[in-house]
Amino acid sequence: MPVDTKRVRGPDESQSPLLFVLPSTGKPECPQEGREDGRQRSQADVRPVFARCGLISQAKGSAYIEAGNTKLICSVYGPRETDRKDEVDMKSGRLVCDFRFAPFSCPKRGSWIQGSEEKALSLGLLESLLPAACLHKYPRSQIEVNVVALEHDGSVLAHAVTCASLALADAGIEMYDLVLGCALRQDGPSFLIDPTFAEESGAQSAGSGENQGRVTVALLPSLHQVSGLQSDGEMAEDTLVGAVKACIEGCQRLYPVIQQALARAVRRKAPPTAV
Amino acid sequence: MATVQISEAEKVYIVHGVRDDLRVDGRGCEDYRHMEIETDVVSNTDGSARVKLGYSDILVGIKAEIGRPRPMVPDEGFLEFFVDCSANATPEFEGRGGEDLGTEISNTLYKVFNNPHSVDLRALCISPKEHCWILYVDVLLLQCDGNLYDAISVAVKAALFNTRIPRVQISEDDEGTKEIELSDDPYDCMRLSVENVPCIVTLCKVGQRHIVDATLQEKACSKACLLLSVTSRGTVTCVRKIGGGSLDPESIFEMTETGKRVGKALQSPLMELLQKEESLGKKRQKVGFLG
Amino acid sequence: NMAGLELLSDQGYRLDGRKPSELRKVQARMGVFAQGDGSAYIEQGNTKALAVVYGPHEVRGSRGKALHDRAVINCQFSMATFSTAERKRRPHGDRKSSEVSQHLKQTFEAAILTQLYPRSQIDIYVKILQSDGGNYSASVNAATLAVIDAGIPLRDYVCACSAGFVEDTPLADLCHAEEAGGGTVLSLALLPQGGQIALLQMDARLHQDHLDTLMEAAMTACRSLSTVLDRVVREHLQEVTTLTAE
Repeated sequence: MPVDTKRVRGPDESQSPLLFVLPSTGKPECPQEGREDGRQRSQADVRPVFARCGLISQAKGSAYIEAGNTKLICSVYGPRETDRKDEVDMKSGRLVCDFRFAPFSCPKRGSWIQGSEEKALSLGLLESLLPAACLHKYPRSQIEVNVVALEHDGSVLAHAVTCASLALADAGIEMYDLVLGCALRQDGPSFLIDPTFAEESGAQSAGSGENQGRVTVALLPSLHQVSGLQSDGEMAEDTLVGAVKACIEGCQRLYPVIQQALARAVRRKAPPTAV
Repeated sequence: MATVQISEAEKVYIVHGVRDDLRVDGRGCEDYRHMEIETDVVSNTDGSARVKLGYSDILVGIKAEIGRPRPMVPDEGFLEFFVDCSANATPEFEGRGGEDLGTEISNTLYKVFNNPHSVDLRALCISPKEHCWILYVDVLLLQCDGNLYDAISVAVKAALFNTRIPRVQISEDDEGTKEIELSDDPYDCMRLSVENVPCIVTLCKVGQRHIVDATLQEKACSKACLLLSVTSRGTVTCVRKIGGGSLDPESIFEMTETGKRVGKALQSPLMELLQKEESLGKKRQKVGFLG
Repeated sequence: NMAGLELLSDQGYRLDGRKPSELRKVQARMGVFAQGDGSAYIEQGNTKALAVVYGPHEVRGSRGKALHDRAVINCQFSMATFSTAERKRRPHGDRKSSEVSQHLKQTFEAAILTQLYPRSQIDIYVKILQSDGGNYSASVNAATLAVIDAGIPLRDYVCACSAGFVEDTPLADLCHAEEAGGGTVLSLALLPQGGQIALLQMDARLHQDHLDTLMEAAMTACRSLSTVLDRVVREHLQEVTTLTAE
C-alpha cells in the first residue's frame, strides 16, 4: 500500500475525536412531523438544488451541483480511443465511471486511495448512466466520467447521478434522456426524502420500529424508466414500493431545475443568432 | 465463464420461450435449477458450505478471529466478506481479472447484511471496546454458470448455520490485565441464529417477463436484472438493479412482488435441509469433491 | 537437534503416527467440473487441492507470447483464503504462490508433449482448499490428473512428493508440522517410468553423504504415488466407459 510520506502521520493507534462527542439524545423530537432543517416528512420535499454546467475548461463537459450542503463536481472526458484493446465488443463505446470522495468531504478524513465504498458508488453510477447514453454511436471509444464529492451531506449517489448526466449532456454526448437521482431514508412509517448525512446515518426515531432503510433511485424523467435502484436496511415489500414511488416523485421535482441549468449552458455555448 | 455471447437467433428462441413460460431447460419462469448443498466441507474452518446450482459451484469458508470492535459500535462484532473469483472458474479471472467482480459481490453482501437483525452482532462481542469476534466470510467461486448471487447467498447462509465459534472466558488477574481463555472442550461452542439471514433472489427481465435463476444464455438476453435479498419473514434487506438497461416502475414493482414470494419460498426448504443434514451428525456420508 | 527429537519418536514413529517412509492417505477424483476441459481433485492427508485445465486453445492476450514450435504452458497456483490455520489475506499474487506457479510451469513443460500443439496455450489452475504441507506436491499430482482428464498427452505421469531428513532418517510426504520445523525439505517431481526428474528443489542444508538416501526416499514415494494415480485414472475410465455404454 502506498504511504503518503509528505505529511505527518498520526500515531498508529488513534481514534477520531468524534467518538467522544456525546450522541445528542432524542434528535428528532417529534418524529411524525418536521425535520431538523424545516422540511416535511413523508413528502417529496427535496433540498433546493443549484446546478451549473461547464466549470472545468479542460474537460469536454462538466457540471457542479449543490443540494443543501452536498456538493459534487463532475468532469467528462472523451469520446477518445479506448485503453483496452482486447475488449470483445468494439461495436459500442465504453463508459468509465470513477467516483471519489475528496479527503475532506466526510466528517472523518478519507484516504486518497479509492476505497471499496467508492468502488461500489462508481458501479452504481455507471449502471444508472448506461441506459441513458447512446454508446452505440461511439464505437471503439471510451467516455470517462469523474465525479468528486466535495462535501458529503447525504444522498451523495443520487446527486452524483444527476450531476454526471448533466456533465455528459454538457459534453455533447448523445443521450436518450437526462438521468436524475433521488435518495430516501425510510424511518418507520414515515420517510425522509433527500436525507442529509445525519438523517441518512442517524439512529431511528423513537417508536418507529421496523422498516428502516435507505433507497436511491435513478430515473430517466421523460421516458419514465428507472435506470438505477439500490437499497439496504430492512423494509417490507409495500414500504419499499412506496419508497421507490416517492423517490420517482422526488426526481420529477428536480427535473425543471436541471433542464434550466442545461438550457442555460447551451445558450451560452451557442448564443441565439439574431434573425 | 462469467458471461457468454449468443447469436440473435438463439436470443429470439429464448425470449419467445420465456414469453410462453417455457424455458430452454424446461423450467417455468419462477423455478430454480437443481441445487445441491453440503455443509462442513473444509475442516480447518469454523464453518463451511458448498453449493452447486446448475454448474455454478460455490465454496464458502468462515473463520472466526478475535479482534477489536469498531469504535463506533464498541459492543458488537462484525462480518468481513471476501469473494475470490478464482481462475479455476474461468481463465478470464486469472491474475487480477476477477477482482472487479469480487469487489462487486462482496460490496453487495455487505449491503445485504447491513441491518441489525440479519446476524446478531452483539453475540459476537467478547468484551466491549476491547475484544470481539470477527467472522471472515470467504467466498470461493469454483465454477460460474449464471445466477451467482443467489447461489452465494445460500452458501453463505448454510456456512453461517454451520459455524461454531469457540466459547471464551475473560479472566482478570491482580494487576487488572485481562486474558482471554478458550474453552478446553472443542464441543463447547456458540452458534449463530440464521433465522433472519436473507437469501438473494435475482430476477432477470427477458422480453416482457421476468425469470428467476437465469442461466448464462438467458442472462445474455436480458438487459436489466433486479436483485432482492429476502428474509424468511418477507422483509427486503437489499435491492439492486444490475446491468446496463433500465426498467419501468411497474415492472420493478412486479419483480419485487415475485422476488419476495420466491425468496420466502426458498427459505423454509433450505432451513429444513440444513437441519436434516445436521441431525444426521457423524453418520452422514461426507461427499465433498470425491463424490 | 530439538525439533528433530519431537518429529521422530524413539520407537521410530512420526507426529501423526506414520512410519518414516509411509505416505499419507491419498484420495482423488477426476472430472469434478463440467465446464473446464479437464479437472481433478486430490486429498493427501489433510492437504486438499483442486486443479482445472483449459486448453489447448489459441494464445490469449498478446500474440507475441505464442511459440511457433510448441504450446505455451500457463500456470496459476493459488490458495483459498481459508486454507491455512491463520487466514490468508490474498489468495494469490504473493511471492510464495508466484514461486509455486513458476515451479508448476517448469514441471509441466517437462512432462506435456508441448510440441504437438504449436502456437497454442494450455492453462493449468490449481487451488489449495486446505493446506497441511506438501502444497506443491499435491498441486502437481492434482494437475497431472486434470491434464489427463483434458486428454492432453503426457510423457508419463508426473508425480511429486516431499521428503525431509530427521535423525539420519529420511521422512517421506511431510505434513505441515514437519515442514515448519525448519529442517531439510526436498521436493521432487518425477516421471517414474523413465526415472526422469522434472523438478527438484531443496531448502536448508544437508550433508552430501545423505543426499542419495533422501533422493531415494523421495523417488520411492513418487513411484508409489504413481501407482495410486494410475489406479485413479483407470477407475475413472472404467466409470466413464460403463456410463457411455449404457
